[in-house]
Amino acid sequence: MANQAATAFSGNMKKALAGLRRINLEGLRWRVFDAKGQVLGRLASQVATVVQGKDKPTYAPNRDDGDMCIVLNAKDICVTGRKLKNKVYYWHTGVVANAFSVCMNACVYRYIGHLKERTLKEQMERDPTEAIRKAVLRMLPRNKLRDDRDRKLRIFPGSEHPFGDRPLEPYVMPPRRVRELRPRVRRAMIREQKKAEMQQSNKDMRKNRKKEVEAEVTA
Amino acid sequence: MTRIRRGYIARRRRTKMRLFVSSFRGAHSRLSRTITQQKIRALVSAHRDRDRKKRDFRRLWITRINAVIRGNLVSYSYSRLIYNLYKAQLVLNRKILAQIAISNRNCLYMISNEIIK
Repeated sequence: MANQAATAFSGNMKKALAGLRRINLEGLRWRVFDAKGQVLGRLASQVATVVQGKDKPTYAPNRDDGDMCIVLNAKDICVTGRKLKNKVYYWHTGVVANAFSVCMNACVYRYIGHLKERTLKEQMERDPTEAIRKAVLRMLPRNKLRDDRDRKLRIFPGSEHPFGDRPLEPYVMPPRRVRELRPRVRRAMIREQKKAEMQQSNKDMRKNRKKEVEAEVTA
Repeated sequence: MTRIRRGYIARRRRTKMRLFVSSFRGAHSRLSRTITQQKIRALVSAHRDRDRKKRDFRRLWITRINAVIRGNLVSYSYSRLIYNLYKAQLVLNRKILAQIAISNRNCLYMISNEIIK
């Protein structure tokens, strides 16, 4: 069964299993998060808490005791507002050579780089797992354990994963109080609903007319 | 004036310091000048951290209690637990609550359910 599950997983097997040997897997649970229909940041917040081990009573800040987290259906993650077009990931390229010069307290770049940017939409087309990974990584504390915690995160764009033979536990998201829609958004939604209803009624009228025409022809 | 050598006075003082830093790493336990510096730094850290220890442990207990309490009910948190504790005039401190959380989780759930009412 393990072999079947492994071969059913299409995708980078090497990447999925990378670095598993480095983690001490005894006593760690494998929690499965389903990202379908979840909001990006709220899901990432829960994942970050679990990966740090902050839901266990034996939490200690100096050692990493978090559970292995598997996130499925990364391509079905949602964002609110206009973030698909407006949320931009920025990063800077260019290599720093002499970080601390003796005479001047400045960092000298060996290669001049540029500010690069990429919108959420493009990122989801290229690699949807990166959006979630960045979100979770930026919620973890920036210390020496951050890289180890990154290794415990496995994100997959679909719902297949090669870890079928492990004892997996689905994670139930805590219930959320969704606030009611703002007036402008609500009016836009009502307008779209009415448009959809009009189109449906037009289609029905055309179907009825076709049926009448056929009935006349046969009669 | 006759010539006076200092003799063994400095050496006696420095051997005492050497004994203090005997388990330090590298030059910090071998070279006399660094030994005096490292001894001062070690004592300063100890003095400052004696007060920090009280703060750090309280933080750790609070985090652990929070972790266990959130797994109990929906939308229950450490802050609400403490509020209920004070309302019920229960004198359990965070150290004991954290110890209960580690060893006997159901006991903590029982306590918290009792206080909610």
